[in-house]
Amino acid sequence: MIWVAIAGSALATYLVRALPVALTVRARLPPAASRYLDALPIAIIAALVGPAVIAPAGALTHGAEPVAASLVVAAVAWRRSLLAGVIVGVIAVALLRLL
Amino acid sequence: MIVGTTFGVVARQAGLEPIEIAAMSLLIFAGASQFAFVQLWTGGAPAALIVTTVLFLNSRHLLMATSLRPHLQRVSLPRRLAAAFVLTDEAFAMATGYVRRGGVSLRYYVTFAVSLYVMWNLSTIVGLVVGNAIGEPRRFGIDFAITATFLAIVVLAVRRPIDAAVAVLAAAIAGGLALAGASTVAVIGGGALAPILAVAVRR
Repeated sequence: MIWVAIAGSALATYLVRALPVALTVRARLPPAASRYLDALPIAIIAALVGPAVIAPAGALTHGAEPVAASLVVAAVAWRRSLLAGVIVGVIAVALLRLL
Repeated sequence: MIVGTTFGVVARQAGLEPIEIAAMSLLIFAGASQFAFVQLWTGGAPAALIVTTVLFLNSRHLLMATSLRPHLQRVSLPRRLAAAFVLTDEAFAMATGYVRRGGVSLRYYVTFAVSLYVMWNLSTIVGLVVGNAIGEPRRFGIDFAITATFLAIVVLAVRRPIDAAVAVLAAAIAGGLALAGASTVAVIGGGALAPILAVAVRR
């Protein structure tokens, strides 16, 4: 099963990269569609965060995850560094869960 | 590359086999998609849902590749198809800067994009090894690394207030759906609905 998902994902990522350079048609997207597509990646990644912060393991959080998430946002906004965010997040959540 | 190493660690901690993780970096080669894959897979999502999410997540490459197309007029089809395989956000940004400065050689793009590909795969393997060495992930908060990575990607990607609004809305919809017991459609639901806000609000 996981290999089906891996193969399917590989095909999906390749298709969106290759189709526009393979075809010669020049289609112009309406502005509304391009605004939608522009916002889509951020929305999907944020949608992955939501459940993990609000409902880790399927039940309402005890508070460690939202607090750690706020610290991650602050750390990344300040240092502009992905690694800083990950380190702060991991340490914060580990300590908060001890409480 | 730090993100590749983080991916290796997180995927290994999530219980994926080393061969599966290495295959993902070799074949999929898309950072956020691979993290999303791991999270959805661990949550028990079916393959079709994972592939759909990955497809949506990478739809931006459709636009990027389209905008590079006019500069590839003289390149043969097989070479265009090969060049497309290593298209990433970073390679696109570099290529756009290069052609705006008047560059015409495909070699410049290929060298840059292929080195990213090689580094991505090497760092994944480093992450695998590190991930193997850490036991009991939840105790050390390692399970939160994937969430922190997503958060960091979002924060770094926010350029305008509307981006932040879309992100908050998407997270809220997805979180709400997950709490309501609809966790399989939470990510697609939040991800597909929230961008409507960006369409509705004209900048």
